[in-house]
Amino acid sequence: MLKFRESHISAHHNYLVNDMLAAGFLLGDPDSPKTFYFLSDIVPPGESTPRISARAFDEHGLLLFELTSNVMGKNPCECASQSIPGGVRILDSSGKALLEVRTEEFTNGYLTRLKARLFDEHGNLRIGDQGESIQVYGEADMAYISPPPAGGTEGNADHEQRR
Amino acid sequence: MKKMSGENRDFDGVWVLGDYRNYFQNRVTLQLISKGKALAQKLNTKVSVIVLGEQVHQYAMEYVAHGADVIIVAEHPELREYQVETYTALLARWVEDFKPEVFLAGATSFGRELFPRLAKRLQTGLSADCVALDVDSETGLLVQTTPAFGGELLADVVTPNRQPQMATVHPGVFHERPHDPEAVGRIIYPELDVLPEERVRLLRSRRQQTRSINLEDAQVVVVGGRGLGSKEQFGLLFELAELLEGEVGATRPAILPEWAEEDRLLGQTGKSVKPKLLISIGTSGALQYTTGIQGAETIIAINRDPNAPIFKMADLGLVGDATILLPMLLEALRKRL
Repeated sequence: MLKFRESHISAHHNYLVNDMLAAGFLLGDPDSPKTFYFLSDIVPPGESTPRISARAFDEHGLLLFELTSNVMGKNPCECASQSIPGGVRILDSSGKALLEVRTEEFTNGYLTRLKARLFDEHGNLRIGDQGESIQVYGEADMAYISPPPAGGTEGNADHEQRR
Repeated sequence: MKKMSGENRDFDGVWVLGDYRNYFQNRVTLQLISKGKALAQKLNTKVSVIVLGEQVHQYAMEYVAHGADVIIVAEHPELREYQVETYTALLARWVEDFKPEVFLAGATSFGRELFPRLAKRLQTGLSADCVALDVDSETGLLVQTTPAFGGELLADVVTPNRQPQMATVHPGVFHERPHDPEAVGRIIYPELDVLPEERVRLLRSRRQQTRSINLEDAQVVVVGGRGLGSKEQFGLLFELAELLEGEVGATRPAILPEWAEEDRLLGQTGKSVKPKLLISIGTSGALQYTTGIQGAETIIAINRDPNAPIFKMADLGLVGDATILLPMLLEALRKRL
């Protein structure tokens, strides 16, 4: 039986994650007050700026920053944001890029590519770079949950990316 | 609706082959998505678009915006250029696994090469150059209407015993749905096995350098046929088209003696047009040709034969020798414009 991965996409804006298009995705639990999460929210028609919320840690499990809809909250490591063509970059105090968000405009839509190397509160790698896409580790929800496709092959859709 | 029985019961879904080359001019995939959506509704299923290539994100989004429910993608550097053996093997594997009920492609050079091979591989039927598609309300079978017997007849073809039911469809026959930025869909990335070895290796490709002929979007189209008698007479059509700010089309009998380029061919094996005004000069009105002008709002026909079939579909007919009437028409227009 053919294996496949799937997500939901928007006609207007998508993120590239695990070499897949996704209208939005969530890693971790945003309702937990202290643990890692990363939310790339759905961008509605009429808007072109991706909305990122996150609580990210370094490889030792130390809090780096909190973002809520692109607005910096807790920032114990004194991270700085820097505008780049088509997006924004977050740098640590030494100037090393922690997260880069860059949006490409098509004729009728937008694609956002991310670059990041972020860890959870235990120091486990949750987001890393792989080519032109980020690679997420652990469970991820792809914006919408859906039943298997019509047409016979079912039961192996990889909603939850496990590496 | 009675669906087919026995071994065919497992098949479900309408598939459209995504031909995104020259995307913003070549709209046949969007037209097929629109028609596929209507067929899928009758069959109570979904319409999926199959996209093979590299960096195809934009096209996947476009297809969703134009009505696709599902996009099935193979992204790989070796799929960047169309290679018939690789594409055939990959599609055959997917059809065998996903089991679509209907599989459609545009009757472009791409679809015309790939689909016969794929149908042979899948041991199913294929109707080529269809001009209409529908679902039979009794059997649930796809009714594929295609010109037959040299284009003199339209035949309704069904594939009752094999699946998927495959057809290539003439560009311009169906209307695309408008772009909907609020649309959402599912995208599926099947795991790619080792790609089959191509016996033919593509070294390079380059675009043919020809003047762009935009017949499909022209508001005025002037068409010439055998009745013009010579390349010189046919050449007058270009002046007429220029005066009317239109484009020149041709029927097959005018293409064969090289009075016009192949790109100007209208009809079953050429382009389909939807102008506000179409002037058909020296054309008899054979079905192979009129298939491509059915979308014209107003048709004026000039032919010396009062019984020519073109007069049956013309809004205004002039019976006379095109070689005499055309210069007169040009002279009158020059004075007025």
